[in-house]
Amino acid sequence: MNAPVNAQTLLTSPGAVSIPAQIAAMKATLLKDIQRSAYVYRVDCGGCNGCEIEIFASITPVFDAERFGIKVVPSPRHADILLYTGAMTRAMRMPALRAYEAAPDPKIVVSYGACGCTGGIFHDLYCTWGGTDQLVPVDVYIPGCPPTPAATIYGFAVALGLLGQKLKAETHIEAPGEAAPLAHPDIPYVLRVAIEREARRMAGYRQGRDIAEEFFAVIEQQSDTPFPMRMAQLRATEPDPRRVEIFSRLESVVAEALQA
Amino acid sequence: MDILSQDRVGASILSALRGVLPHAILQEEWQTPRQVTITVKPSALQDVVKTLYYEHYGWVSVVVGNDERSLTGVFAVYYVLSMEGPEKCHIVVRVEVPADTQEFPSVTPVVPACVWGEREVRDMFGLKPVGLPDERRLVLPDDWPDDLHPLRKDSMDYRMRPAPVADNETYPFINEAKGETTIVPVGPLHITSDEPGHFRLFVDGEDIIDADYRMFYVHRGMEKVAESRMGYNEVTFLADRVCGICGYAHSVAYTTSIENALGINVPARAQAIRSILLETERMHSHLLNLGLVCHYVGFDTGFQQFFRVREKAMTLAELLTGSRKTYAMNLIGGVRRDILGEQAAETRRVSAELRVDTQRLVDILLETANVGGRVNGVGLLDKQIARDYSPVGPLVRGSGHARDTRADHAFAGYGLVKNTIRSHDGCDVLARTLVRAEEVFDSLDLIDALLDTAPGGAILTEDFEYLPHKFALGFTEAPRGEDIHWSMTGDNQKLYRWRCRASTYNNWPVLRYMLRGNTVSDAPVIVGSLDPCYSCTDRVTFVDVRKQKSVTVPIEEVERYGRERKNSPLK
Repeated sequence: MNAPVNAQTLLTSPGAVSIPAQIAAMKATLLKDIQRSAYVYRVDCGGCNGCEIEIFASITPVFDAERFGIKVVPSPRHADILLYTGAMTRAMRMPALRAYEAAPDPKIVVSYGACGCTGGIFHDLYCTWGGTDQLVPVDVYIPGCPPTPAATIYGFAVALGLLGQKLKAETHIEAPGEAAPLAHPDIPYVLRVAIEREARRMAGYRQGRDIAEEFFAVIEQQSDTPFPMRMAQLRATEPDPRRVEIFSRLESVVAEALQA
Repeated sequence: MDILSQDRVGASILSALRGVLPHAILQEEWQTPRQVTITVKPSALQDVVKTLYYEHYGWVSVVVGNDERSLTGVFAVYYVLSMEGPEKCHIVVRVEVPADTQEFPSVTPVVPACVWGEREVRDMFGLKPVGLPDERRLVLPDDWPDDLHPLRKDSMDYRMRPAPVADNETYPFINEAKGETTIVPVGPLHITSDEPGHFRLFVDGEDIIDADYRMFYVHRGMEKVAESRMGYNEVTFLADRVCGICGYAHSVAYTTSIENALGINVPARAQAIRSILLETERMHSHLLNLGLVCHYVGFDTGFQQFFRVREKAMTLAELLTGSRKTYAMNLIGGVRRDILGEQAAETRRVSAELRVDTQRLVDILLETANVGGRVNGVGLLDKQIARDYSPVGPLVRGSGHARDTRADHAFAGYGLVKNTIRSHDGCDVLARTLVRAEEVFDSLDLIDALLDTAPGGAILTEDFEYLPHKFALGFTEAPRGEDIHWSMTGDNQKLYRWRCRASTYNNWPVLRYMLRGNTVSDAPVIVGSLDPCYSCTDRVTFVDVRKQKSVTVPIEEVERYGRERKNSPLK
């Protein structure tokens, strides 16, 4: 029942669509220099609705993609751009292909969202074929789960050549003798972990981390005032009662550790 | 887990059941004080479900199939009933299905609400509900091989992709038109539907006589992947992606099911935070639907305005969770982010703004004569049909049934505050719209109340262990109604079985009755009033019963007609 399986033997490929050379050349020109407003047709191939609703948000007043000439049209026959969302499900294979065939050449295919780009969390499931590019050739990927309306507009701007894609790559090369500094070397490791865990239980990952760092800063302070006094000062000046509660919990963790 | 007998809610229903059907119940097992699973004899299954449903205020929430051959040697089917009479609890009726015959009596003939559940069990496990009136495929795509049942433990690996057996849709639509009909297919995709589905309306001139539909175009196999590739906590994030609009409700339902199964005491503060986020999600979803109602009746100004205001609910979500959608805020045992004083203050400020803006828009909506004329008395869902099919959410509340999981089975932080159930007796699109509009303000009240009452303490507990083969239900009231999850833990740090049922699943079967007797131009607004995870139908085939001909019209055309009401596509 649970014997190891070679996944490669399980997969049938749906077979990708190929593009004739002439159309590929036209498409390259279009991608490089579209210079006009673009009509977009949405093809949902099995999205959870998150992407779809963010596309909706992008074309309504607050974000308003139409100011860039991006307009959603009701038929693939009017479209310059096909926007595929969702992991390609089995049931949507034929409808997706029909939409692709219906759009006039040269057409740009945009794959939208984590599922569209790669199949996302559903990439290897029995009822999907993976990302959009398993079925049709994709020109632009807009990642995100779901992409925010801002990311959507950015993605289109890249696709339409309104904006060069800004990729900032930075590679760090380790210098000889370089070592990553230890965080809070003066606080015993066991205590530090206990404080961080308690902060996470009280305030969650993001805020817990921030609060633990503030707390460590108070512990590490070089000062003649004893630690409990410094904490009392911190609590007295803190306007948010919830943060005061969390600081008190962290103090009791320190107190317990000192007793033990 | 032992539940003390004096704490048990629903015990008197079981003793009443034993009085009527003395030998039906073989076994009784309590998962929580308000949740019991009874194993019944197959021969008594119909009577047990029917008695609970019609005589004890039961509603079918979900039908769960499970391949328990490695545990007990048999398959099992669980009928989950939400009891909403004087004793509010969940009673799960379990019937064992022998591994050799693989047959069990269908309940659908006596309780129609079971129809989709039993069709799904047929697809996914290959079990045969004997007497099921509708044996068409439900979940699996048309190009799926006939004899392969994905959720059987020994049938296939979760990654197995059998070659397609067909390139065409082969689903047989039930078509009541007499004589020869011609169907012109139009692609199952269109501009305003968020998700694909396939509808056919059978019409006499302009009047809709009947309707049929094919769903599950987006079936991906989530339950299988949860049982094979993921651990318990990963599934909370998978559950977020069941639905892009009400994903957090699913995530809460899933974590609650595991917490119930293992008897985990989730800190009250975490529960309050879950409720605050659920209400945030409800607001954005209801504002979306109110906007779409405007759109479908041709009031596009209202549509754009509702979407403008809806962005404030999105801002709120971003403030509280860090993302606009797919919040990823749950862990089993609590939540991942606290609401500190600063965020609480900002939440109150945004929610006060939302209240003013929404009030203004709702007033405009209700005072626009065109809207009133298009939604009043349209898309009637008869109270008795609603009773028979167990729909959920604003749909059932618009038909005079005051059922709301938040009040009936207080989960998450809803026990900390006062819950109001909104219901209207109009049974029409207007009633459902009013329910949603009122609930937006209730959500704002709830958020304020929960911020006030949220107790201190931790937001996460790690004080539990996973035990094998424990199961329970988890439930939430999503914007579209009750979401219910049934989970069974496994012995390898993975779920043995996860059944996730979204609210719209319970709402589709009644759509046919809501469409009947209305005109074609009302169809989009009726489907929209269901607030399906997508708001419309992707292709509609009109079959004119009187003229005995059928023509398929693109949905854009139907929607255009819905807005303009001239140049009928049927002429």
